[in-house]
Amino acid sequence: MNDEILCRCEEITEGQIREAIRQGATTVNEIKRWTRSGMGLCQGRTCRRLMERILSEEMGIPLKEITPATFRQPVRPIRMGIFSEIEDRDE
Amino acid sequence: MGRSYDVVVIGGGIIGLSIAYQLVKRQKKVIVIEKNEIGSGASGACDDMILLQSKKPGISLEMAMESLDMYKTLSDELGIDIEYENHGGMILIENQRHLNVMEEYIEQQRKYGLTVEIIDKKAVYRKQPHVRQGVLASTYSPTDAQVNPLRVMRGYLSRGTALGLEVRKGVHISEINQKSSGWMVSFKDGTYIESEYIVNAAGAWAAEIGRMVDIQIPIRPKKGQVVITEQIPKLGDTNVWSAEYIVAKLKPELANEKNEVFKHLGVGFALSQASCGNYIIGSTREEAGFDKKTNPEALQLIVKQAVQFFPILSKVHFIRSFAGFRPATEDGKAILGGVENRDGFFIAAGHEGDGIALAPITGKLMADCIEGKQINYNMEELKLERFRQEEVECAFA
Ligand SMILES: Cc1cc2nc3c(=O)[nH]c(=O)nc-3n(C[C@H](O)[C@H](O)[C@H](O)COP(=O)(O)OP(=O)(O)OC[C@H]3O[C@@H](n4cnc5c(N)ncnc54)[C@H](O)[C@@H]3O)c2cc1C
Repeated sequence: MNDEILCRCEEITEGQIREAIRQGATTVNEIKRWTRSGMGLCQGRTCRRLMERILSEEMGIPLKEITPATFRQPVRPIRMGIFSEIEDRDE
Repeated sequence: MGRSYDVVVIGGGIIGLSIAYQLVKRQKKVIVIEKNEIGSGASGACDDMILLQSKKPGISLEMAMESLDMYKTLSDELGIDIEYENHGGMILIENQRHLNVMEEYIEQQRKYGLTVEIIDKKAVYRKQPHVRQGVLASTYSPTDAQVNPLRVMRGYLSRGTALGLEVRKGVHISEINQKSSGWMVSFKDGTYIESEYIVNAAGAWAAEIGRMVDIQIPIRPKKGQVVITEQIPKLGDTNVWSAEYIVAKLKPELANEKNEVFKHLGVGFALSQASCGNYIIGSTREEAGFDKKTNPEALQLIVKQAVQFFPILSKVHFIRSFAGFRPATEDGKAILGGVENRDGFFIAAGHEGDGIALAPITGKLMADCIEGKQINYNMEELKLERFRQEEVECAFA
């Protein structure tokens, strides 16, 4: 199994992603759900492209036919004290 | 020529997959039909809790207890770590009126054999050192647990596939027709399949499938928005939520303390930590049709409430939010079982906020129903026909 780390935030390897595809994942969203790849702090900024490439390779379909993963708000992490407009009193 | 199966399961959420898995385990020839992706419904957009404390004393609680037992051995059975963890749960109580309601409620739960107690302020702060000042008391049950629903689905799917389960994703059903023996499901691409039985496990969309066979299924989407934090160390011993939601369910007249927006969005507080360290903060309960967008107003209320309960969270980042549709019925119980005058057509949907907790037992009961086995629950309570008896009958006349 190829143990090169592909998603750095969640430390998911290329091998784990290929395994998920062999176990039935056929879209980037399914790979994310199965492996957590792309679900960490950076929300998949680099690894989503890599996931698309591996998926296209494993399934033998052109890259442009792969549906990209869904983006989920917020696009960058936000500190909750700021977002809720409540700051911790002892700051 | 269409292919033929013993059972067609419509819906690739945790419920459909659990049923399909139980059936292939019993040597049935099964196919799961999913219009989008596996887990694209509520089961891929929810919390991770197996809460026994939130279950109404009665059949729901009994089923949840058996389901929990099934979860305990499921990692071994499926050959995948489903991240089952058992840290117990606490329902934080903020005032005397809520305390009175909760005392009565847990008394009934204990009659059904659930281990649960009310603990005092001191014990609350021992278990939850970061909770805000002024909490009056809490319930505590050591039984509440959690799993990772995504891992559970992956396990059902991979183990099921190894046992012969077939899956078709991204297909659209155009028609469902009853034949002299069995059923025919036709797709928009012109293909069709035949089967002896159909299970409608389409979650919040179950009514749409019902309409294809001329039955009314009173299930509607109850939207829930959720916030996910970055990975942080543990804040306390257990998962927690607030009594507000349970009180609102039991005694709505006591629930009008919060402002209108709050009530309209149905914000209730639930906090649980996934095994990788992210906290999941929920959630709203909204009547908003099938609009899957999250909105800043709701997210802000969720975050605000969390920071109010746990001030330390103000220093933590949230990295993601999402919304899911709980499949809701009027009495809060799922619809499970066959349908009168529709031989071989079964419904397994409407688990609302409990579908993760109830998935294993639902799979087993539905497989038992299909095989005509004796069942130890009073399934009459879960039948479709419990709703609007007269209307349903007219519709069939
Ligand atoms: C915010 C939130 C928090 C929650 N927290 C918890 C919790 O902590 N504990 C708990 O136990 N439960 C929780 N739940 C509830 C739980 O998520 C649901 O009860 C459960 O996921 C329902 O599973 P399901 O398989 O019935 O539905 P779904 O997962 O929605 O699956 C239905 C599937 O059917 C498919 N489908 C629909 N129409 C068709 C069609 N025409 N043809 C083919 N396929 C179709 C959909 O695409 C979908 O994949 C929560 C829910 C939400 C929204």
